[in-house]
Parts: sequence; C-alpha cells; structure tokens
Amino acid sequence: MAIIPSERTEATRPDRDLVQRCRRGDLGAFEDMYKRFGGRLYTVAYRITGSAADAEDLVQDIFLQAYRRLDTFRGEAALGTWLHRLAVNACLDFVRSKQGRRQRMTDPVEDLDALEAPATGPWRAEAALDRLDLERAIAQLPPSYRRAFLMHDVEGLEHHEIGEALGIAEGTSKSLLFKARTRLRSLLRGRDLTGGSQPARGALAAPGSGRLGER
Amino acid sequence: MTRETSAEAGCGRFAALIHDRLDGAIGAGAGADLEAHLASCAACRALAADLEDMRRTAASLPDFTPRAEVWARLSERLAGELAARPRPFWTGTRVALAMAATLVVAVTASVWLMRGPSAPAPAPQAAAQGGTPAGTVIQSTGDPVQDVDEHLRIADEHYTAAIAGLEQVVKSGQSELDPALTATLQKNLGVIDQAITESREAIKAQPNNQLAQTSLFEALRQKVALLEDTVALINVMRKGDQAGAAKILGGLSKS
Repeated sequence: MAIIPSERTEATRPDRDLVQRCRRGDLGAFEDMYKRFGGRLYTVAYRITGSAADAEDLVQDIFLQAYRRLDTFRGEAALGTWLHRLAVNACLDFVRSKQGRRQRMTDPVEDLDALEAPATGPWRAEAALDRLDLERAIAQLPPSYRRAFLMHDVEGLEHHEIGEALGIAEGTSKSLLFKARTRLRSLLRGRDLTGGSQPARGALAAPGSGRLGER
Repeated sequence: MTRETSAEAGCGRFAALIHDRLDGAIGAGAGADLEAHLASCAACRALAADLEDMRRTAASLPDFTPRAEVWARLSERLAGELAARPRPFWTGTRVALAMAATLVVAVTASVWLMRGPSAPAPAPQAAAQGGTPAGTVIQSTGDPVQDVDEHLRIADEHYTAAIAGLEQVVKSGQSELDPALTATLQKNLGVIDQAITESREAIKAQPNNQLAQTSLFEALRQKVALLEDTVALINVMRKGDQAGAAKILGGLSKS
C-alpha cells in the first residue's frame, strides 16, 4: 500500500531483531527484510522512475545501501520508514541525474478546458472510487501529469522534492498535479477507461511480468 | 496556462482552493471563504468530494511484486558483500572490525619492529614513557638501569593487577555478549597476549631493548583498554542500550 509510515513511529521489537540479524550478516534475515519491504520499495522505485527495469536495478541498490548503512539505523523510526526514506532519496537522485541528461520535461501540456465534465454531483453516490478504475485512469495521463500525480498523491513526496528531481519549478509541479487531478476526474466520471489510444494498464499496472502485490 | 473550468462561472478560484485544502496548504481566511462558497455551490462540493475520494484511493493503491529474478540477483550481490567481510560480527560490525584490524596491525607492527635487526639502542629515559601508570612514585636509586627496571616492574604489576580484575568482570558478564563478538574479543586478546609474551621474552634476552619495553607496555595498555571497553559494553547491553553499545564500539574504533 502506498501509505508512508508515520515518522513518529519507533522501531518495533521485530524490526530491531531483524536489523540485528542483518548486522550479523545473516543472509536469511535480508531475505526476510526483502519479503517484508521489497514490494513496497520496488513500487516506490517504479512509480518514481516510471520504468520497470530501472526499478529492478534501484531496488537492489536500495537494499545494498541499507545493508551498508545498517549501523546508522537507531530504531528512532520504524524500519519501514527508514527504508522508505532511503528508497525515495535513491530514486530522486536517480531521476535527477537522468533528468539532467534530458534537460527538461518535454510533454506537451494539453489544453484542459474541454476535459472537465459537467459536475452535478459526486461521481458515485453509492460507492467509493474503485482502485482499478483509478489505475486505468492514471495510465491514460500524459507522462508529466502521471509522474507528478504518482510522486505526490500516491507516494507522498513534497512539491519541492518533485521539482528538484524533475528539474522543474515547485510551482510547475503544483500545476502539473492540479491538471493531473482534473484530468483524472474527467476520465473517471463515467468515461470508458479501457478505450482510446492509450494502453489501458500501461503506467500503473504491474510492470513486465510482475503482478499486483498481495498486500 | 489554462485554468480548470467549472460548471459555474466564478468557481475557478475556489477550484484552486479545493486543491490547496486537499494538500493541507490553505490559510484560515481562504479556508473560511471556501467553506462559505461550498455551502452554496453544489458543483464545487462535488469537485471537493471527488478529489478527496481520489486522494484517499491514490494513497491506498496496492504495491507491485517484483519479479523473482530481482531477489536472485540481489541475494548474489549481498552474499558477495557478506563474503568480503573479514569475519562475522555483532552490531556495529564494520566499526568493530576496524577496531580489531587496528589492534592486530598495531600489535603486529610493534612486535615486528621489536624483532627487527635495526632496532635502535635503548634510551633509558624514554623506556618507561607511557608505560608507568600515573600516580606511581618511584624512588631513584641513582642507577639509571636499575631505575628503569624498577619502573618496568611496578608498571607491569599495575597492569597485570588491572587486567586480572577486568578479566574477572568480563568472565562473569560474558553471557551478555553475542557469541560472535565474544569470539572476536578472545581472538584480539589472544593477539595481544601473544605480543605481551613475546615482548617479555625479548626483554628477558635484552633487558635494555627499548622497543621491546615500549611494545610490552603498549600491548598491556591495549589489553586494559579492550577489557575496559568490554566491561562497559556488557553494562550497556544489560540495560538494553543499543545506542550506548554502538557508541562504545565507535570509541573502540578510534582507540
């Protein structure tokens, strides 16, 4: 789940035990750590980089970095929080360096004036928004909108972090998010999410042959 | 840049405020304006409800499961890193390993120097430097060689007594320590003991060998320091103080 653990939560006893086993060099302990957090960190990497191949490399680098930095884990935050921060920083560094080579984002910014459906009430009176529908709608966003939405609303990054990583102004990140949400709302208001020229599950669907996580 | 259009003219400003409120980035004044507007505008209420729903759902999207190959590759890389470690160890592994390496290098180097053919001639006035425990008063006999012997004997006695006391404490609290840590400590103590034995033998053969004397007291000092830190470590482990333990290991690496 894309919920960031509270910074105020301290490490639990199982967290500390796991870290201690890892510090002793117990490979089985690392496997346990990977089973617990691998999916979460891989998903973070995938959503931030937008690439399954990059996410696969990054999640390995993140765990190796965690191993090398275990001495700095003091248990003041939950292990998941500590790993999540490590992952976000690694992914942002990666995107920043990649973005630097690309100079700037090149997505055309589309005119949204015609996209907003007439609003007379919430999209569903009877049920909350379905996650699969949201995933399909996200997949249809232009890449720059999608990136801003995933980084901010799904992974909980701040606009200044997104701006720095993508080489754009903080205000631009806000603007992209505003447009992304507006477009998503339009797509979700009873339109055919599986139609159109965009792949229905191109962005948020499990990358490669991966599957949706069980958690 | 385009603005979101809304069903009702004049709602544009409030649409932006709805996004701001969603992100917790709205001031009190603007918040009150928005509330007043929402009370009378169904379209903006619908927008606010939809965006809140979307935000909640976005924060609960399921994670993906990486392909099995990812763990296969990662475990290989981790195994490589683990194999590269000199020896398994407890918390603060690399710090402790650095400490162990420092001790071994220092002791080995001093023994090598001591045995070396180019050892300089003894300098009696410097022989006891750093070797005599503070506070020990030695009456001069007027004979420099005899004075040095006396310094050495008293210093050796002090260290030996201190070591015996510390060893007793360590023995009683050893169960508090991780077996891997205990094994490494024993190994380091063994290296130091070997240096002490060899230094004593060298002094016996050449009583004025300054390097042998320096080497002996350096090894004794290291043994006392290592035992003292071990006792401190046992104490913090008894309290379950991980941070304190890490601090001690950090200090060991600098000793």
